[in-house]
Amino acid sequence: MHLFITYTIFGLVLGGVYGIAASGLVLTYNTSGIFNFAHGAEAMLGAFVYWDLRFNLHWPAPIALFAVLGIFGPLMGWLLYVVIMRGLRDTTEVTKIVVTVSVALGMLYLSQWIWNPRSPRNEELFFGGASHVKIFGSTITTHELIALATAVAIAVGLRLLFYRTRTGVAMRGAVDDPSLLQLNGHNPDRLAALSWAMGAFLAVLAGVLVTPISGGALEATALTLLVINAFAAAVFGRLRSVPRTFVGALVLGLTANYVLAYFPKSWAWTSDFRISLPMIILFLVLVVLPQDRLRGVAMRRTRERTHLPSVRTAVLGGAALVAVVILIRQLMVNSDVTTLTVGMTFAIIALSLTLLTGYAGEMNLAAVSFGAIGTLVVFHLGVTGHSQAARTTLWGIVAGVVVTAIVGALVALPALRLRGLYLALATIAFGVFLTDMILLDVNPHKLPLIHTRFSLFTQGSLIMPPLKVGPLDLRNGTTFLVTVTIVFAVIGIGLIALRNSSYGRRLTAMKDSPAASATLGQSLVKLKLSVFMLSAAIAGLGGILMASALGSVTADNFSIFISLALLMLTVAMGITYVSGALLGGLFSGVGFAIVVATFNHLADNHTDLHGLYATFAHVAAVLPALIGIGLGRNPSGAMHDVVEMWRPMRRAKPVLAAGAATAVLLYVLALTDTITNWWFVILIFVLLAALPIIGQMVMPEAFLGPEEVARRRAVVPDELVGVDAPYTPQLRESLDRALGFDATPRPAVPVLAAEREPSYAPAGVGPPTVEASSDAPA
Amino acid sequence: MPLLETVDITVHFGGNVALDQVSIGVEPGTITGLIGPNGAGKTTLFNVITGLQRPGRGHVTFDATDITGLSPAKRARRGLARTFQRLELFLSLSVRDNVRVAGDICNAASIGHRIHVNDETDRVLELTGLTDVAHKDVADIPTGRARVVELARALMAHPRVLLLDEPASGQTERETEVFGQLLGRLAGDGLGVCLVEHDVGLVMQVCSMIYVLDYGAILAHGSAQQIQEDPAVITAYLGTTKGAA
Repeated sequence: MHLFITYTIFGLVLGGVYGIAASGLVLTYNTSGIFNFAHGAEAMLGAFVYWDLRFNLHWPAPIALFAVLGIFGPLMGWLLYVVIMRGLRDTTEVTKIVVTVSVALGMLYLSQWIWNPRSPRNEELFFGGASHVKIFGSTITTHELIALATAVAIAVGLRLLFYRTRTGVAMRGAVDDPSLLQLNGHNPDRLAALSWAMGAFLAVLAGVLVTPISGGALEATALTLLVINAFAAAVFGRLRSVPRTFVGALVLGLTANYVLAYFPKSWAWTSDFRISLPMIILFLVLVVLPQDRLRGVAMRRTRERTHLPSVRTAVLGGAALVAVVILIRQLMVNSDVTTLTVGMTFAIIALSLTLLTGYAGEMNLAAVSFGAIGTLVVFHLGVTGHSQAARTTLWGIVAGVVVTAIVGALVALPALRLRGLYLALATIAFGVFLTDMILLDVNPHKLPLIHTRFSLFTQGSLIMPPLKVGPLDLRNGTTFLVTVTIVFAVIGIGLIALRNSSYGRRLTAMKDSPAASATLGQSLVKLKLSVFMLSAAIAGLGGILMASALGSVTADNFSIFISLALLMLTVAMGITYVSGALLGGLFSGVGFAIVVATFNHLADNHTDLHGLYATFAHVAAVLPALIGIGLGRNPSGAMHDVVEMWRPMRRAKPVLAAGAATAVLLYVLALTDTITNWWFVILIFVLLAALPIIGQMVMPEAFLGPEEVARRRAVVPDELVGVDAPYTPQLRESLDRALGFDATPRPAVPVLAAEREPSYAPAGVGPPTVEASSDAPA
Repeated sequence: MPLLETVDITVHFGGNVALDQVSIGVEPGTITGLIGPNGAGKTTLFNVITGLQRPGRGHVTFDATDITGLSPAKRARRGLARTFQRLELFLSLSVRDNVRVAGDICNAASIGHRIHVNDETDRVLELTGLTDVAHKDVADIPTGRARVVELARALMAHPRVLLLDEPASGQTERETEVFGQLLGRLAGDGLGVCLVEHDVGLVMQVCSMIYVLDYGAILAHGSAQQIQEDPAVITAYLGTTKGAA
């Protein structure tokens, strides 16, 4: 009984803190329509700032608390809204999710920049660990009591706000119909800003309260994930109801503590299970949630645009990619070949997102985790031989891919009836569950019935030998690189063919309007399920190849943050483009890591400039997040702009040829070590950026079309006739027309005045006046 | 018994009654009109019929079967099609692909019987007069034409009952006239059409049966003539034309 009471109280305390965090999520979601994946990161930043003020600068607790809760938190939320989130109204759900994910990653990198993760930090309980009270014989620290009281106060306060105040009632209406709210004299923008400030305040409050309860150690990623537990509570409240959210949070806190109290300690996975519990509960809640009503999506302001290549273009592109990779290989030292191979495997995982998110508009926040499933299967079933002779078999890979697809179906199924956001939540739950539970299953334990000793993630690090199929042996680094590149190209071409097929059109239709799709007879659940399984299979294959390229993998290789960074960069590069997946994969797999490592290396080698280079390294670490945040402005992604720029180049063949010649020259210079590889890369990028601009200057016909160029040449503004252009009979005549004189029509009139007017007439005084006067003979 | 029938459909949104025991019927080969002021519940009724909105009470029957519990997709496969008042076009697809994908969906859902999507698309585009804009981006055509694209898309599945939600809004007078003729031809081929429309002229001209909805309840129903003379309808919706008498 004593145990029960103690753990009940602990459970209520933990649940209360979850409730505080989750209510902040619900609040911002309801007033701005944006589910804030950065909520946990806000809590983390708040906890760090509090630690810094209280235990580093030794401010008195009340002042530090006021600074963090009263100023830092609300200011952070308000700034987030004003600078970033305000621009996301009318964007797609994918854009909203990816932008908040980017903010979360940015905050994480930022915290690691300011607070070096290698030095330990500890946040103590309020009034210290010794201060406590006794309730029914159980010892409760004052800190826990404060947390519980705060949770109750927040719950009551929010209830009063929403139902008793004008502002609160308006907040509830803000997301449903902002224009109606505006008509009623509210400012939806101000309300949303207020809710973001309050949401950040609640996150920071939860962060400051929860850190000492859960051990006191400040660790950025762990803290960020801790508040992700609040997602489950928010989903329990269907992301709308604050009271239900609090109930969900209490259930969560209590269950976690009862598991701790009553599950046998001898079970190896008890503590893993407790940590994963919120994610498991999130899943169960998704299963029982009632189906959403299909709402129409009105025409959007920021429409994503895309150019769809033909299969023929795709095949040419794929061949070119393989050729380029083989050429680049000649410039590289062997260790770099592995790096590029790993990057290419990330690009394959990114292709799974192109299909799922780019074509079908659904989300997977844990793509790399699906790669872990494939890797586990291959490790246990698909390896033959020992030590040096060990090889991965093709059948092992096939089994891995199939199992990943099935796991994908199981993960997605509960969420498919629901809105896209819930699928995103289900996948993030899966990703966190996987790292907390499956990948922590490192110690062999006896399996019941079959009496063998087995663990999923044996020894915490899996050795993955290279693949061998018939004569193809991927032990050779170059062969591996080329094979992976070919795999990427083949899947990429396949995706483009798929997008051009009837299946692809149905995916696009579902993405653009689920309601219209359903009323035309499309079963949305079936279609979503099929595309999710296909996408999981691609991610599984990419993950297996990644693990194989790395040689050995640990749980860190499949962390949820790697998945999030991959998603963010792929979307930023262009989620509907195969080339976007290539760049997104390469950047997230190796690109930024190389830049950061290079700067760190420079910093270590140049002690005099250490600070400068270290700063560059930090900037490079935060940069991807900034790119992701910029997505709100350009949801079509970077590749779209590149494609737009390059499309007319097809007609500018001479410029292309000159460009190709320059590229070949640069390549030869690099190959003969006349210029370093860095210069080669930089010059190639300059060339790629400059070519379209040069093309436009040299061959305007290719860019504007011959008619447009002719038109621009022929038109001389009337006021400049005789100044910029000599009087010609034609010009004189058109001038006569414009002025309304009786001009004798001559046969060879190149441009009629009436057609020319719009190009130069100032607005409002042009054509009508002229036309009217030309009726009346002067 | 009508091909499509709603029986005592009632829908609440919180405390508001959106539909109150609404019963209508649509016969094959006829055009049935559904008119009423904004917010009367016309679109909600369409949503209930097509399965986008679950009714609190009442049921929908189609071809003598109760379809109240079926998903929108299953209803569509039985022969129900609709257009949307707030356009729900597939913005990433061209006009032609918007129509074609409806055929793709049909083929994917049905076992055995398949339609030749390409030929059928061409036929429907021709029928609805969209051939000239077929390769345009659907976002780049005017609203009036876009409404015709929605109609063409709905026709691809060879529906037996077609629900049209304000198809004439955004259309020019000329377009509406052509549209009315097209509806007449479709009904002549045996299609049952239910038309929600504010263009009373069009409704009176083409509909053989008209229901008037007001505050979620059926105010009156009957032929065009009966409706025009119904005093309750005149007060609630049509109004009086001063000086006309």
